Amino acid sequence: MSALLGAWRNQPVLLVLALLWVGLISAIALFQPHILNVYTFTGILQFASILALVSLGQSLVILAGGAGIDLSVGGNVSLTAVLTMMALVAGLDAGWMPLLCVAIGAGLGLTNGILVTRLGFYPLIVTLGTFYIYSGVALALTGGSAISGVPTWSLTWGRGSWGVIPLPFLTLVLPAFIMAAIILSLTSWGRWIYAMGYNERSARLVGIPVDRVRILLYTLGGALSGLAALVSLAWLGSARPNIGVNLELESLTAAMLGGIAIFGGRGHVFGVFAAVILLVTLKTAMLQMGFNTVLQVGVVGLLLILVLLADRLSQHRG
Amino acid sequence: MLKYLKILTSASAVAMLSAGAFAQDTPRVAFVPQIVGIPYFNAMEQGGKDAAEEFGVEFIYTGPVDTNPIDQLQIVQNLIAQGVEAIAVSVLDASSIAPVVEQARAQDIHLYTSDSDAPDSGRAVYVAQATDEGLGYTIIDELVARVGEDAKIGIVSGEATASNLNAWIGFMQERVAERYPNVTLLEPQFAGGTAQRAAQIATDMMASNPDLKGIIAVASTTCPGVGQAIETANRIGEVVGTGYCSPNTARSYIKSGAFGFSVLWDPAKLGYLTVWAGKQLIDGNEFQAENEVTGFDEPIAYDEATGVLLLGAPAVFTAENVDDFDF
Amino acid sequence: MNLRRILTLSSRELTLAAACLVAIIAFSMVSDHFGTATNLTTILRNSVELLLIGLGMTLLLAMGGIDVSVGVAMGLAAIGVGKVLAAGFGALAAALVGPLVGAALGIVTASVVVLGRIPPIVATLGLFGVFRTAIFLWLGGQWLSGLPTDLTAIVSSSFMGVPLMAWTIAAAYLVIWVALRRTPFGPHLLAVGNSETKARLSGVSVRKVQFSAFVINGALCGLAATFYVATYRNVEMSIGSTLALEAIAAVVLGGTSILGGRCSLVGTVLGVLLIRILQNGLLLVGVPSLWQTVVTGGLLIAVLCLDALSGRMPVSIWRRRPA
Repeated sequence: MSALLGAWRNQPVLLVLALLWVGLISAIALFQPHILNVYTFTGILQFASILALVSLGQSLVILAGGAGIDLSVGGNVSLTAVLTMMALVAGLDAGWMPLLCVAIGAGLGLTNGILVTRLGFYPLIVTLGTFYIYSGVALALTGGSAISGVPTWSLTWGRGSWGVIPLPFLTLVLPAFIMAAIILSLTSWGRWIYAMGYNERSARLVGIPVDRVRILLYTLGGALSGLAALVSLAWLGSARPNIGVNLELESLTAAMLGGIAIFGGRGHVFGVFAAVILLVTLKTAMLQMGFNTVLQVGVVGLLLILVLLADRLSQHRG
Repeated sequence: MLKYLKILTSASAVAMLSAGAFAQDTPRVAFVPQIVGIPYFNAMEQGGKDAAEEFGVEFIYTGPVDTNPIDQLQIVQNLIAQGVEAIAVSVLDASSIAPVVEQARAQDIHLYTSDSDAPDSGRAVYVAQATDEGLGYTIIDELVARVGEDAKIGIVSGEATASNLNAWIGFMQERVAERYPNVTLLEPQFAGGTAQRAAQIATDMMASNPDLKGIIAVASTTCPGVGQAIETANRIGEVVGTGYCSPNTARSYIKSGAFGFSVLWDPAKLGYLTVWAGKQLIDGNEFQAENEVTGFDEPIAYDEATGVLLLGAPAVFTAENVDDFDF
Repeated sequence: MNLRRILTLSSRELTLAAACLVAIIAFSMVSDHFGTATNLTTILRNSVELLLIGLGMTLLLAMGGIDVSVGVAMGLAAIGVGKVLAAGFGALAAALVGPLVGAALGIVTASVVVLGRIPPIVATLGLFGVFRTAIFLWLGGQWLSGLPTDLTAIVSSSFMGVPLMAWTIAAAYLVIWVALRRTPFGPHLLAVGNSETKARLSGVSVRKVQFSAFVINGALCGLAATFYVATYRNVEMSIGSTLALEAIAAVVLGGTSILGGRCSLVGTVLGVLLIRILQNGLLLVGVPSLWQTVVTGGLLIAVLCLDALSGRMPVSIWRRRPA
């Protein structure tokens, strides 16, 4: 009991999320026991992959403060997928696909980073602008139609699984989160990110290369969106120009739900990971229990507000 | 930290262990629309319910809130996980089902398309409202008959990513190129999902082409926008609006003269036929070239080469007959 | 110094006014159909909702707030207007329902943000989802279409040769301008935007100011809903889903600072008009509609770059800690 109280004080968000998740699973076990099978579990991880990668990038950008936010993530995913497939169709060797995805995504993220740090624009505005541009160009280039022709070897990866764990989740999502966690908690880069997020002025005063770190984080966020585009290609088998639609709002929801403070400097990627899994499980559970899908957006919205309220309450006590 | 991870893993272990197939008495047929909350798919749902009662199956209707293929895919996957015996999908595009076709086959689940098709995806059958060709040709023929063979015609569609709408537009362009060389068909414009944008685009289209004679609203969300734009611009009689809209949506515009006509099939019948087809798949009955279906006066044609079950020719609604329909 | 800026044109406002003028001249030269009275009225009519919502968003940004649920809030209010209209209660009742529902939603938003002390962007993101579900449930899958024309007739009428719509916008503008310029609300709002802590220390009732701003914003969304229903006479379920980001873009184009403390009502009006003029004009000269969002985004970045070149942008992007 005291352990629980201590956890409530230290990691309230994570605890709430874990309890909610256990509650959800128990609800499924009670009402729809037959669907608690391997397919459901694999499905949850598969559907979590794209959102997890994008949310990780979003969280890193927010964590570093400076009113950091990236509204262009969805547009980035769509445009990266489209450009990559256009390059393959134009005759580029299919082996370049993964590298190209990362490079294009990183390039689009770098653009955001330069506009934010070098020209000093507010991230919300810059990425709102690039959101319109990236998603618009993806649609306009294709006229809206999907581009097929994804190499079959990538489908084996994108749709395959190792035991119950989907390969994209095992080979991209897990390593990305583990690396992010290590960097944030064990390296000086991590301390820099928290420091500049917590108080940028003093971070600059103690000599942290704030702008350089920030550019790198936007680029990294872009590269993660690029990886999400890769997952979408290898999984769906075609490049859809609106594949990233709504990802900006969903990734923001996941980051906030996961306990990343919107002003930066506080939060951890484990929380984000838990939040992504919770969101996807919630959708699955509601589908399985026959709730109308229109309730999903509302329940997620309500959940976001309630978790933040709970977070507030715990801070008051601490 | 570790403690919570432990909780999480043990809960997932429970999840693994309680796996197992679950047999149900009444077979279930599901239909997944492209989007929920629009009258067209609600009508299909109603037809599906009627058929379910008629043929003794359980009917499940569930779909995404946004036209997002990943959300649709997640819904299909969950239906497969529930072991629903037959699942019909009005696909946003092939990616809505491609990743799960194999899984469905492995679980002996009949995955098929209805209303919007994904050819070559491995689906069991496609329940078609009409051929894409028939839809594209009919609307052009009917419109040209009203506005003349040298008219200028504009197209307002919804999401540029909807593959079925794009197919219809393709056949409109083909028909004009082949049969009406003097008709000018403007490039299609895309309004996304909102009626407001459709109205804006239709208004701008009329402004930039004062000699415009007809506007085709391709997506059902664009119908009210186009009709409203013609009324607001006071161009009733000069510009003939039309589209693939249900009589209920088009009625006030047909009455006011903003729409000359509207082309659609009866979505309730399509929903009905979809559930019937699901029942046939579950029972293992082969489709014949001509199928007698309870509730239909005419036999339903099946094309074995393409695997298409055809509801029939599209209906044209005009001021004379629009009040005879309620959907 | 902030308040003086509200009516005397700043360099940003001059830039925008010039951009609007250049766009109008250029489009008129390329297309014969652009400069007609009918088309210019069309642009105005298409701008009404965004203008009203933009004015509300200006207040919010000025105090360091934001609301990403404005579009769906308008949608909810529009259902209210549509249902009242369809039930035959007449135009006046319907017109009033819009702002009333809007203000009620504003109270909900204000309660979550101000009383719950949740950062506005997160709170309104949550409410965006809640409101969307409410729209689905309230419409129940049936669109409202072919609504009675009572309201339409009034809205499209003219008074002294000027469309009633223009009068309403002018009135809304004037009311907000007076509130900002002639009452303590204005200085208090900007003070909260500059620094919540300092505002509180200097005796401003921060919560009251924030609460009022959200309620006013809600009422403006509701007023926009009245115009929406009057113009389009239908309500479908995706109503307003793209409006919030468009409104933020327009307000920011107008020179209102996203971090608060600085706002421009003229700028917002010009920003909205510029976006709508470009959307209309590009279609008229034959640019496919798929490129329109690209233009909106490009415009946003371009104006920022212009500012950077003219050296007007504050160099520091150091973020205050929340109070």
